[in-house]
Amino acid sequence: MIGAIKKAPLLAPLVLVMVVLAVSTDTFLTRGNLENVLVAAAILAVPGIAMTFCLAMGEFDLSIGSTVSLAGVACCSALIAGQPPAFSLLLALGVGALIGLANGVVITKLGVTPFIATLATMVIVRGASLAYTDGHDQIVSSPGLKYLVAGRPLGVPMPIVLAVVVTALAWWTINRTRFGRWVCAIGSNRDAARMSGLPVDRIRIAVYVLVGLSGGLWGLLISSQLQKGNGQLGLGFELDAITVVVLGGTALLGGRASIVGTVLGAVMIETIRNGLNLLNTPPAYQRISVGLLLIAALALLALRRRERRGAPRVLESAA
Amino acid sequence: MINAGRIWDTWGVTALLLLLLLCTPVIAPGFLDIENLQSVLRESAYVGIVAVGMTFAIASGAFDLSVGGQLALTSVVTLMAFNGGGTAAAVAAAITTGLLCGLVNAGLITQLRVPPFVATLGSLFVFRGIAYLLTQDGPKTLPYEQIEAPFAKIGSLDVAGLPVPFLIMVAVFGAGWVLLRRTAIGRRTLAYGSSPSAARFCGISDTTIRVFVFGLVGLTVGIAALTYITRVWTADGSAQDGFELKVIAAVVLGGTALKGGKGTLIGTFSAVFLVSVLNEVLVSRGVESAYQRIVLGCVLIVALTVDGLRTRFAAPGSFRRASRPTS
Repeated sequence: MIGAIKKAPLLAPLVLVMVVLAVSTDTFLTRGNLENVLVAAAILAVPGIAMTFCLAMGEFDLSIGSTVSLAGVACCSALIAGQPPAFSLLLALGVGALIGLANGVVITKLGVTPFIATLATMVIVRGASLAYTDGHDQIVSSPGLKYLVAGRPLGVPMPIVLAVVVTALAWWTINRTRFGRWVCAIGSNRDAARMSGLPVDRIRIAVYVLVGLSGGLWGLLISSQLQKGNGQLGLGFELDAITVVVLGGTALLGGRASIVGTVLGAVMIETIRNGLNLLNTPPAYQRISVGLLLIAALALLALRRRERRGAPRVLESAA
Repeated sequence: MINAGRIWDTWGVTALLLLLLLCTPVIAPGFLDIENLQSVLRESAYVGIVAVGMTFAIASGAFDLSVGGQLALTSVVTLMAFNGGGTAAAVAAAITTGLLCGLVNAGLITQLRVPPFVATLGSLFVFRGIAYLLTQDGPKTLPYEQIEAPFAKIGSLDVAGLPVPFLIMVAVFGAGWVLLRRTAIGRRTLAYGSSPSAARFCGISDTTIRVFVFGLVGLTVGIAALTYITRVWTADGSAQDGFELKVIAAVVLGGTALKGGKGTLIGTFSAVFLVSVLNEVLVSRGVESAYQRIVLGCVLIVALTVDGLRTRFAAPGSFRRASRPTS
């Protein structure tokens, strides 16, 4: 029990927030509302988990928000053109993977820093999405796409099923496979990893493809929710995805990854958003609270680290 | 000693900018009209001013993701102050609010020991949130009756044909250059950026550098808000969404290394104009804004690829990009 708390420091505050909400509103604990929170958290957790790999490697991907838009647009326009749903869904995932591949190649083969490379693809992909849609919504009504959010295999909402599968796979990959260890090895010391003969470039490309794929899936889920695709979807989502990971305790400097932490981070953010909605606070407070939460979480982490070491820890910048 | 790589670091973007300007009579007739040039100078000012502060931040090995939130909040507060107390109050409010935002960031980083990336990501949400709260009943605006007030003139006045926002930007760049190249704190910022632990052993304090750098970013945001708000006349919480990335892109395009330890204000200056001239040329060619983004993104990748390949070949056999000394 103590071990579990140590491994997932977010658990205690999450329970606290939930208790407060259960007491202060009479709607939070209803079945429908809890399901809403979990579905939203599941949708956020999927890209968060992919981003966890990226941060564990000590890098970021800023292009994921634009990927959401372009993947959604690709799927919706394929559906509008009369393609079967299966093809359209695969097309969106393919678009995501391709963007990830482009990121990975530009970063590893051309030597552009990840921050700038993904910043550039973020702008380019957003431009492509806006140019293709010409500022219009692409509205679809496809049962196949709808199923991604509204489907209920065995009575469980589809996004939750997806998130559970992705979480299990990612947890297994990080903790039980060579690939997972390699990702963390690159994150803690890339030069050492390269000198011990790891295929560093290929691993990095694989991780960016993974993030791209998850962006594609995120785009599908969002387009499925809204029943449309357009150039404005996913604006600012990259920060959401990174926030979830950092909140979950994955070190910014790489070398460690906490999949469970990321999932809890997603649940935490969506619980707070839901709670503030139920309490009728203006949307501005949502931003403020997410920001404060982020700072508080990292300040606590730093404090614990300092206590353990007994001396002020060397502060390094995360770039 | 002549070092081609070093000259490229500082002057490469400037050369690209000059090349682009030489081509403008052919690719965008009308670009070199005085009115058009003035408008380019005016519109680039607020990005350029903040880019000075950001150059220091990146040279010290950190970035400030909160500048968009700072600009929104400062603009809103400045307009409230102007409507309440006139020009002097507005200027004072802009500088104080910007500086305060920067010091809040510095406090989070040095006192609570939150890494700069997360601290400023968090404060981005908070500053924007507060700006939203202050403008819940509609955006703050500069009333039209005040068009003759000295404050409202900041954005529109020309001196000897040069727009005032541009002159302010040049002054900020000049002051920044002196700070970075001719003062102890500037050298220390660069030293801290190339190796925080080595700098610490030389007696440079984390707190001093962080407070200086993030305070400076806040101060430049305060100054930029004055030129920004007197151009657009209105502000709310969503003002300049994505501003931080615009500024960081300009600084990095200019040749300041993201790893820290190296900063060039000349490069930053040219990069700001490279982006805005390119934008203007694309607009005058009738290129839609969606395609403009694509072109700009490609320019960013090409420019940084050249840099990446150059450092790779400059240090054959090394496993990592050599962390370059100050230039």
